[in-house]
Amino acid sequence: MSAAELTPPEAARWAARAGLDLPAERHAAVAAVANHIHSVVSVLRELDFADVPPAAAYHPVQEKHDAAV
Amino acid sequence: MQPYELSLAAAADAIRDRRLSPVELVDSVLDRIEKAEPHLGAYVTVAAEQARRTAREAEHEAVHGRYRGPLHGIPMGLKDLIDVDGMATTASSRVRAGHRAAADSTVAARLSTAGAILLGKTHTHEFAFGLTTPQTRNAWDTGRVAGGSSGGSAVAVASGTATFALGTDTGGSIRVPAALNGVVGLKPTYGLVPRHGVTSLSWSLDHVGPITRTVEDAALVLTALAGHDPRDPASLAVPTVDYRPGAGTDLTGLRIGLPRTYYFDHVHPQVETAVRHAIGQLEALGAQLVEVDIPMTRYIQATQWGLMVPEAGAYHEGSLRTVPGLYEEDVRILLEASELMSAGDYVRAQRSRTLMRAEWARMLEDVDVIVAPSVPMPAVGAGQETVTWPDGTVESVSDAYVRLSSPANITGVPALTVPVGHDAAGMPIGMQLLGRPLGEPTLLRVGHAYEQTQPARALATAA
Repeated sequence: MSAAELTPPEAARWAARAGLDLPAERHAAVAAVANHIHSVVSVLRELDFADVPPAAAYHPVQEKHDAAV
Repeated sequence: MQPYELSLAAAADAIRDRRLSPVELVDSVLDRIEKAEPHLGAYVTVAAEQARRTAREAEHEAVHGRYRGPLHGIPMGLKDLIDVDGMATTASSRVRAGHRAAADSTVAARLSTAGAILLGKTHTHEFAFGLTTPQTRNAWDTGRVAGGSSGGSAVAVASGTATFALGTDTGGSIRVPAALNGVVGLKPTYGLVPRHGVTSLSWSLDHVGPITRTVEDAALVLTALAGHDPRDPASLAVPTVDYRPGAGTDLTGLRIGLPRTYYFDHVHPQVETAVRHAIGQLEALGAQLVEVDIPMTRYIQATQWGLMVPEAGAYHEGSLRTVPGLYEEDVRILLEASELMSAGDYVRAQRSRTLMRAEWARMLEDVDVIVAPSVPMPAVGAGQETVTWPDGTVESVSDAYVRLSSPANITGVPALTVPVGHDAAGMPIGMQLLGRPLGEPTLLRVGHAYEQTQPARALATAA
């Protein structure tokens, strides 16, 4: 296991920081899936982005939304 | 031939010429549903009485000379992520128990105005977060997966239980089930078809589009769907277009990009053979083949996951905290794990997308269309979780089915899957055509030209 991988207790703590309480029996499985996702997406760190901005889809004219603030 | 076997275009011609009434067509499809649905499980809900009532109204209009156009009186299924006023949008999930949509989605409203008749809501892999749709069985072999996430829509169209259907596509969810069931699926350009009132999986990757029996049918449905709606922030303000392709099959002057990399790697030999044979047909119609190198292939999966997983996690943030036990396990664990991704992961994926879009735009300056397999292998058996390639690489079935679809979701370019044959076991194989942004007319022209060189396809036979 590399130092970048989350242990089950670390996964539980990270989830708690995100406001998500994970039952103890899910810690190991969530850690394993999170580590797999991390191994896939971390390859993007190889790219030299220079000044490239993120691509986001939005309209400059404000839309109306239903959600309460 | 029974009315339920007709393509949309053929049924439309018959209705317009008063050789077929909407009531006859809807009754025929509902009878077909009654026979096939117990074996296939394509539908969450069938609204038979409502469909019959609407068909009588459509017939009344036709009798009195009010013809709305080619969708007048045509029965359809809508993936159950698409809101229809007064009906539940279940997303094929227990999380949505008791749901009732308060209004039509933009696409449901546009299809209704165009005269299409809703048969019911079709199954999706739960909240579109998966590639198999386990509730539904493949239309050609009920022991195999339907594909997903728009599995119900594809199976309904393939089996004759809907004349057309809508799906959604975030990483291949229209094209994968369409290819696995031997029908046509179109993921339009990002923003061409409004998503207002459609449950999201991942806002920056989601698309809505048609699943049909022919390319011409897809063009007829797209014509009714496309057009700006400010309630979808990604919606494009582009002029309305009649997408119906012309009758000609001459592709002289068309430059078709043949990928040297990525799209033919780890592809089943029978899939490659069928697709290369179809490419030969396009060449015989006059198209010029130009080899292309697909850019940034090492970063495709990372970019797709870096966008999709956090966006899906954000959409489900509330219900994952209140009713986590109501999700199926495969979806729940992905949503939980999504909360452990960093903002850096997400922004890197968005920046990677900027680079990838620019590279694809450069590639598409040199060719009009790119041609490739739609999926690397035909439908696998239900329950099969991995595929092993000849070099020993083991890949999850879901990863394999997404692999050739996701570039069009990341870059937003339109992509069309067209059936090009069957493997030795009789399972369908799809060819994918990818075009420039808003290049749907070219994709539809090429796909339609190919179809005209082939015998008409029969409905699926498993039920």
